[in-house]
Amino acid sequence: MESYWKTLLTTPEAATNYRDSVRDRDHDLGAFLEFDPQRGCTAAGDILAERNTETAGDTNTTDDARSAAWAGVPFAVKDNIAVTGFRLTCGSRMLEKFSSPYTATAVQRLCTLGAIPVGKTNLDEFGMGSSTDTSALGVTSNPWDRSRVAGGSSGGSAVAVAAGMVPFALGSDTGGSIRQPAAFCGVYGLKPTYGAVSRYGLVAYASSLESIAVAAADVDTTEAVFRAMRAVDEMDQSTIECPADLADASGAADTTLRIGVLGGELGLDPAVATGYQGAADALKALGFPVSAVELPTIEYAVPAYYTIAAAEASANLARYTGIRYGLRPDYAENPEELVRTARDQGFGPEVKLRILLGTYVLRSGFQDQYYLRAQKVRTAIRNDFDRLFGEIDVLLMPVFPTPAFPHGDAGLTPFQQKIADRFTTTANLAGIPALALPAGVEAGLPVGVQVLAPAFHEHRLFAVARALAQRLPRATPPDYPPLWRKASE
Amino acid sequence: MYQSFIGLEIHIQLATSTKVFCGCRAAFGDEPNTNVCPVCMGYPGVLPALNERAMHMAYLVARALNCTLTERTGFERKNYFYPDLPKNYQISQYAAPLGTNGYLDVEFHRKKKRVRIHEVHLEEDAGKMIHAGDMSLLDYNRAGTPLLEIVTEPDMEIGEEAETLLQQFRRMVRYLGVCDGNMEEGSMRCDANVSVNLRGQGLGNKVEIKNLNSSRFVRKALNHEIGRQEEILERGGTVVQETRLWNENRDLTESMRVKESANDYRYFPEPDLPPFTATPEFIAAVEADLVELPAARRERFVREYALSETQADFLCDEKPLADYFEQTVEQGADPTAAATWLSTDVRKILNREGLALQQSPLTADRFASLLMLLAESRIHGKLAKQTLEAVFSEDKEPEVIIAEKGWEQITDSSQLTAVVDAVLGDNPKAVEQIASGDARPMGFLVGQIMKRTSGRAEPQLVTSMLKQKLALDIVHVLSFGGAISGSRAADGLIVPGDLRDLRDVLAGELPDSVRFEEVTLGQFLSEEITPTDWATLIDAVNTRLREGNASGIVIAHGTDTLSYTASLLYWFFADATIPIVLTAAAVPWEPVSERAQGDSEAVRNLKAAVTRATSNVPGVHVVYGDQDLSPLNLKFERIDPTAGAPFRNWNQSAPVYHGRPIGAGPLEHTRVELADRLERAIGSVFIVRVYPGMRGDALIALINAGVRYFILELFDTGTASLRETPFSLKHAFAYGAERGVAFFCTSQQEGIVDFSEYVTGHELWKEGAIPMGTLTTETVYTRLIATLALSDSTEDVLKRMEEEL
Repeated sequence: MESYWKTLLTTPEAATNYRDSVRDRDHDLGAFLEFDPQRGCTAAGDILAERNTETAGDTNTTDDARSAAWAGVPFAVKDNIAVTGFRLTCGSRMLEKFSSPYTATAVQRLCTLGAIPVGKTNLDEFGMGSSTDTSALGVTSNPWDRSRVAGGSSGGSAVAVAAGMVPFALGSDTGGSIRQPAAFCGVYGLKPTYGAVSRYGLVAYASSLESIAVAAADVDTTEAVFRAMRAVDEMDQSTIECPADLADASGAADTTLRIGVLGGELGLDPAVATGYQGAADALKALGFPVSAVELPTIEYAVPAYYTIAAAEASANLARYTGIRYGLRPDYAENPEELVRTARDQGFGPEVKLRILLGTYVLRSGFQDQYYLRAQKVRTAIRNDFDRLFGEIDVLLMPVFPTPAFPHGDAGLTPFQQKIADRFTTTANLAGIPALALPAGVEAGLPVGVQVLAPAFHEHRLFAVARALAQRLPRATPPDYPPLWRKASE
Repeated sequence: MYQSFIGLEIHIQLATSTKVFCGCRAAFGDEPNTNVCPVCMGYPGVLPALNERAMHMAYLVARALNCTLTERTGFERKNYFYPDLPKNYQISQYAAPLGTNGYLDVEFHRKKKRVRIHEVHLEEDAGKMIHAGDMSLLDYNRAGTPLLEIVTEPDMEIGEEAETLLQQFRRMVRYLGVCDGNMEEGSMRCDANVSVNLRGQGLGNKVEIKNLNSSRFVRKALNHEIGRQEEILERGGTVVQETRLWNENRDLTESMRVKESANDYRYFPEPDLPPFTATPEFIAAVEADLVELPAARRERFVREYALSETQADFLCDEKPLADYFEQTVEQGADPTAAATWLSTDVRKILNREGLALQQSPLTADRFASLLMLLAESRIHGKLAKQTLEAVFSEDKEPEVIIAEKGWEQITDSSQLTAVVDAVLGDNPKAVEQIASGDARPMGFLVGQIMKRTSGRAEPQLVTSMLKQKLALDIVHVLSFGGAISGSRAADGLIVPGDLRDLRDVLAGELPDSVRFEEVTLGQFLSEEITPTDWATLIDAVNTRLREGNASGIVIAHGTDTLSYTASLLYWFFADATIPIVLTAAAVPWEPVSERAQGDSEAVRNLKAAVTRATSNVPGVHVVYGDQDLSPLNLKFERIDPTAGAPFRNWNQSAPVYHGRPIGAGPLEHTRVELADRLERAIGSVFIVRVYPGMRGDALIALINAGVRYFILELFDTGTASLRETPFSLKHAFAYGAERGVAFFCTSQQEGIVDFSEYVTGHELWKEGAIPMGTLTTETVYTRLIATLALSDSTEDVLKRMEEEL
């Protein structure tokens, strides 16, 4: 990993060049809601200074070497993750002008190593969507075909990486929010094990399902960022210590891992089916022991996911009332009216739909029918995975049934988009890690597949991805060569 | 007859240094919105982190409330919108509260009750919304303070029980150091649920009362609300299920919102917090912090240190005082003396100086040493008080003070012998007078000796030396009127006398060692006793006891009011170390009769009384015929002594002579003060014997005339008419309750008044009447006036009246 990134922000001229190039490039793509490397440097500098006071006198050479590798590396942050000095809009009118007074733990850990958050990326409002089109604050387009969506909800982060603007970006994954846009844009997208990375500073949508996630241009970067972020955090008591024997397990290519390929009638678009088959064949060709497997509970994943996610969202989004921060109506007769007006004006239709749905499923007398039943399905899915991981080491699955779809009416309806989340939501319901990776380009659009492993076995995902990258190297969109270089290049 | 059901929801803020889910200071009274952070303000993206100290305190309270402790517990979100609730959900506990199935024992007017605790759970407090003009202001300092909710079952019936439970709970949490229990500042809060239904029909429609920021308001609001609901039912109406607010200015509850659109809190598990496991180590740490609780400690103090309940109550109210007391006792001080001094002299000085005991110069060691100096007779009482003052003013050891000031008593008889001999030699006339049987000059001699030793001679030692030298064993015979001291006039009627005749008759019939000191108190008949007479008698007895030269005191009394005077003396002198014997006779000794008449009842009783007075059996006795009766529960049952014993003790398996008096420490009022206090006390008391057809209005008229304490002589175990008729006492009780009038209940029959057997008795209890148990009307009356004369607050009076003997 040493000296991996030869970076862009080390000299003032380089920084200016970089900033102008990104702005120029993003004009058509709309990946960023806010882009300001200078402010990012200030924020990172403050965090570094604070760490240095805390660990004064305690010099660690390994840390220093690692920091050298990260120094000045720019990264983008999805705009539902807090960074001091930047806004934290969540793509919502409600928080359009809200500036974060604190920084998320995951971002802090990266800054401590020397990396620089350079901007905040667009997303579906509060992470609710699969296209980034539900954002109230801007349109994000796919660098492979700007008439098409970037995917979502971490669309801005995937585009920022795919279009070469940053080597990696942070996103979040509640039901596929990093993996689906990664697949649409042709980059790597890791959803870590639930509890591996602190959620402190990630604006909650569905707390029990979501993780901070990574979109990156290659496996090495994905793994490095994940390892840098993974830690128990006292600010997030749902973080779990990674078992000692797994913490340092190698992610080097390893073709002895038993691969299960999800079979059966998957309902894939032909282009996606081709890419999926191609990935399975490539694994076989690489010498992996490959077998076809079934995951019967997958049929129930989407209803269970939306029930739980909406329920949690209805509570998580209750705090946005315009009283302490956020959109505040000019006038209200009383506090109740203030809250009602702020929420009516501040939230978009998809957010309102999910809040209402969540409120509905939690009503007393209806919990058995909806919320508690969804929790039972969740347990059944976990058990299904446990069974499967007794037979195989890694599961190969599609990410999304279609490639990137067009903006607007020509694309998928919100309902179709939800149905299509069946492959991604399973990992969130089970709390296990999943990595979306590029599996070629069909008809000018990238196709992605995902690999899943048991909790805290991310290294297996990297091992498979590294091996596969030899047969299926990642392609970059023709118009957007990277603005950054590796140290070796 | 209706039945009422009261349940409480008590909230206490746990006294952790930081909030329950973030690191902000948890403090009362700071500038608004200064103790806040992104977490407790509910900013986007923040997460709660459970404060384990709060969990520790929460389990400690649950344990103290005898709850089953939940091994694996967790948190839920309780969803509702309110501007003071930052996240618009409250992190609380629902599915598995940390404690369940506990109890707390309460007692109100002899009725002991185990109030079940439904559950104890931990949650976060909300902020505060203040309405100012056309603005609504929010202060989030309180948001996220750990809040423990205690939910009781509806096991209480009246406001007084709820008040008692709250006070007891408050004391408990203060003992545990988890909350200061301040209801005004809101660190302890209480909502009450109350329903009323026909007896035996189960719970009625529940009304919740809010805005109760003192335990007194809880009582008043509940009693008002029970009355309101009963009235509705009485009219055939239905109580609306709703939330009502207590209006402390108008003393009533007002509707706040009707519960028909009940809040649906949509509880679901808090995904941001992992389940909490109470490990054996965690539980062990909780157990280690479980101190002896106030109720248990009070009981132990009564049992182990033979203290009165009032003393134990006083000492155990706050843990530091109880600890201090025990340290003092451990150092060797006498528990009763320590308790008495702490509640009187020490308290007075602390109040005067505005000091807390722990911060005062009077350390437990110094206090113990002072008490031991007194117990070892190295200083006497008066100098002990001066030494106490000196400890405060000079901040020195008592030993040092008495050495510096030369206050140490002369306790060595060899040092005193010369002085005693000299005084006797100088006063031959007094010595002669004593030798001839008149012990009156004793006091003079003691005074002379004290004078010559500058007050440093120990008075008791002086007296015993004098008694030895003069071969004395003095029995004071005090004449207090009545037939025994009187005589029969020519027209055959009995007129007052002074016992002089009887003394002459008895002269020579008693052992030589017995000397009379006859004190004439008055020439009246006992039915003519006034408060001043009682004060004179009490003062006379007190003086004799204090002088310490008597081996016994005899009081010749009339029969009519003997049961009153006897019990009154008991309440003042129950701890006397010598016998105080009252006696009486139905008819006077008649000088006109033959010598044989010398063995008439008057002579026989007086002789028996004197014999008892020399018998070294301490306490207050009533001797009549061959009976040695207790002064308590004495009933004058028969007028003609020849038809059988005139007196009998009610409700006593063994006669009680000796015990704990009402006042703590020596009686310090002058005769005039005492007369005044007794007179005022008696003026506020009225004895009413209930009878069929008695109207409640009569009591109201008496209340309006200034009566504040009734002694109601009821039927049976305590029954009276309480139905809604003009003959019911119910209105009088309600009228009296509003004016702070107390109703002490005795029975017209022999037996125990505890309101146990009948519904009407239970109603009386609910109305706040106080059952006096085994005590008779006369005994309760004297106890009440003694208590009133010796207490400075109404609260004290009520407490002392209910104390066990």
